[in-house]
Amino acid sequence: MVNIVFKFFIAISCLLIFRGLLAEPLLDGADFDYGEYLSGQCLTCHQSSSDEGIPAINGAEALYIAKKLILYKNKELENEVMQLVASALDKEQIASLAIYFNSLEK
Amino acid sequence: MHNLSRRSFVSFALASTSLLAMPAISTGSARPKVVVVGGGAGGATAARYIAKDSKGAIDVTLIEASKHYYTCFYSNLYLGGFRDYDSIGHSYDNLSANHGVNVVHDWAISVDSSARKVRLGSGANVSYDRLVLSPGIDIKYDSIDGYSVEAQTKMPHAWKSGTQVKVLRDQVLNMPKGGTFAMVPPPNPYRCPPGPYERISMVAHILKEKNPTAKIVVIDPKNKFSKQGLFMAGWEKHYPGMVEWIDNDTHGGIKNVNPETMEIETDLDTFKADVACVVPAQRAGAIAMNAGVTDGDWSPIVPASMQTKADGNIYVLGDASVASAMPKSGFSANSQAKVAANHIRGELTDSRVFPAKFSNTCWSLVATNDGIKVGANYKAGEEKIEVVDKFVSKTDEGNAKRKKTYEESIGWYNGITTDMFS
Ligand SMILES: Cc1cc2nc3c(=O)[nH]c(=O)nc-3n(C[C@H](O)[C@H](O)[C@H](O)COP(=O)(O)OP(=O)(O)OC[C@H]3O[C@@H](n4cnc5c(N)ncnc54)[C@H](O)[C@@H]3O)c2cc1C
Repeated sequence: MVNIVFKFFIAISCLLIFRGLLAEPLLDGADFDYGEYLSGQCLTCHQSSSDEGIPAINGAEALYIAKKLILYKNKELENEVMQLVASALDKEQIASLAIYFNSLEK
Repeated sequence: MHNLSRRSFVSFALASTSLLAMPAISTGSARPKVVVVGGGAGGATAARYIAKDSKGAIDVTLIEASKHYYTCFYSNLYLGGFRDYDSIGHSYDNLSANHGVNVVHDWAISVDSSARKVRLGSGANVSYDRLVLSPGIDIKYDSIDGYSVEAQTKMPHAWKSGTQVKVLRDQVLNMPKGGTFAMVPPPNPYRCPPGPYERISMVAHILKEKNPTAKIVVIDPKNKFSKQGLFMAGWEKHYPGMVEWIDNDTHGGIKNVNPETMEIETDLDTFKADVACVVPAQRAGAIAMNAGVTDGDWSPIVPASMQTKADGNIYVLGDASVASAMPKSGFSANSQAKVAANHIRGELTDSRVFPAKFSNTCWSLVATNDGIKVGANYKAGEEKIEVVDKFVSKTDEGNAKRKKTYEESIGWYNGITTDMFS
C-alpha cells in the first residue's frame, strides 16, 4: 500500500515537472516550422560544430537560447549583430528558434 | 567545330543529348522544377535551401559556369596575405551529394520566359516551373574611357570571382620601391560598398611591410563612401601619410585611363601609377538582361518574395536585383535567397510561407586584428526593401573589440560558405 502511494506520488510529481517544462512561458507559442525558416538568418554566421569566432548553437538547450536572445534584445549582452537580430524577434519567434535549434544535432 | 577530333565530337554530342534528355527525365517524375542560374552567394544558397527543405519534392537544377567558386568575400584578405588562395575556393560536390541538386557546369545563354526554358551553351534546353537568377554583376567596360577587356590585365578590376586578384597581388608585391598604387573605385551602385576601401587597407598592409615609401592614391568618382570615418581613421593610425583619397569634387571627374602609360586622367591632373586597380561601373549579369526582367541596369523585385516585377515565375537575387536599402553583398544575397526559397516552396508544394526577413552585416579588415563592421535588419515594404534598424562600429573602440570583430568575421566566412555549399 505504502509502495503504491509512493509510486503515485512519483508519477504525479513527474507529470507536474513535465507540464511545468512544457508550460515554460519563454517557450510559449513555439512553432517548429517557423523556427526552421527563421534559423536561416542565424545560419549565415553560426556553423554547426566550430566555435571559431562565433559559437555553435545546434543542440543547445531551448531555454538557454531563448534567454540569451532576450538578453540581447534587452541589450543586456554585448554584440551589435546579435542585438540587431534579437531586436527584430518577437516572443513567438524567439521560442520557435529556441526549440528548432534544440532539435538539431550538436 | 573543324578543330574537334572525332572523339571529342562524339563525347560532346553525347553530353549534349544527355542534357537534352534531362528535362524529359524530370518531367517523367512529375516533380515541380526549379532552375537556378549562378552558383554564388545567392544561387548556391537558394538551390541548397529549396532542395534541402523540400526534401526531394522539388527537382532543383543549378547552372553554374565554373567548377569552383572563389569567393570575392575574403579575396581582399588573400590580397593582404591573411588567407591563401585555396582557402577561398569551394566546390559544388556537396550540393548534389547531400541534397540531390542537379549541378550543370555550363553557361546559361538565354531565357525563353513564355516557354519557360533556359538555353545552355551546349545547346540543351532546360525547362522550369520557377527560375532563379543570381548571376552577380557584369563589368561595364565602356563606362571609363580607355578601359576594356584587354586593359584588365594591366589595370585589373579583380571585382569578380576568379584569378584577377592573383594578378593584382603579384603586381603589388613587385611594385618598384617608393612607387604609386592607384585605386579607382566604382560609382554607385556597385557590389560590396566597403570593398574598395578594404582593398586599399590590404594593399597598404603589404606596402607598409615590403615597400614603406610607396604611396597609395585613391581617385574616387564619389564624394563619400561606406564606413568612411572608420577607414580614414584606420589609415591614419596604421599607415600614416601613405593613403591619399581624392573625392570627385576635388579631381573634377575621371576623364580616361591609359593602360599603356598607366595614367589616369582627371579634370584636375593626370596621375601616373606603377600599379592600378580600376573598378568600372557595373550592371546585372547578362542573363538577367536577356530574360527581360531588368529595368535599366538592374532587376526590380517584389520585396516580399524576390520575384521580379516583370515575371512572377522568375526570381532575381543578390547583386543583380534592386534591393533598395540592402547593399549588394554576399550576406544580402544569402539572406534574399532564403526568402525566395521559402516562397518558391510555398508556391510549388503548398508548404507554409513566412513573412520575409532580411539582414546584412559587412565586416572589413583595416589592419592586422583591426576589424570593423556595419549591419542592418530589413523588412519587405510594399515597393521597396526597407531598413528597420542598423549599427556601425565606432571610431573610439578599443583594440580588444576590434580583434573580436575580426575573429567574428572568420566565423561568418566559415558560416556563410557552409550555408552555401555543405
Ligand atoms: C573585393 C570584394 C570583397 C567583398 N567582400 C564581401 C564581404 O566581406 N562580405 C559580403 O557579404 N560580400 C562581399 N563582397 C560582395 C559579394 O561577393 C557579392 O555581393 C556576392 O557574391 C553576390 O552574390 P550573387 O549571387 O549576386 O553573385 P555571385 O556570388 O557573383 O555569383 C554569380 C555566379 O553566377 C555565375 N554566372 C553568372 N552568369 C551565368 C550564366 N549566364 N550561366 C551560368 N553561370 C553564370 C558566375 O560564374 C558566378 O559564380 C565582396 C565583393 C568584392 C568584389
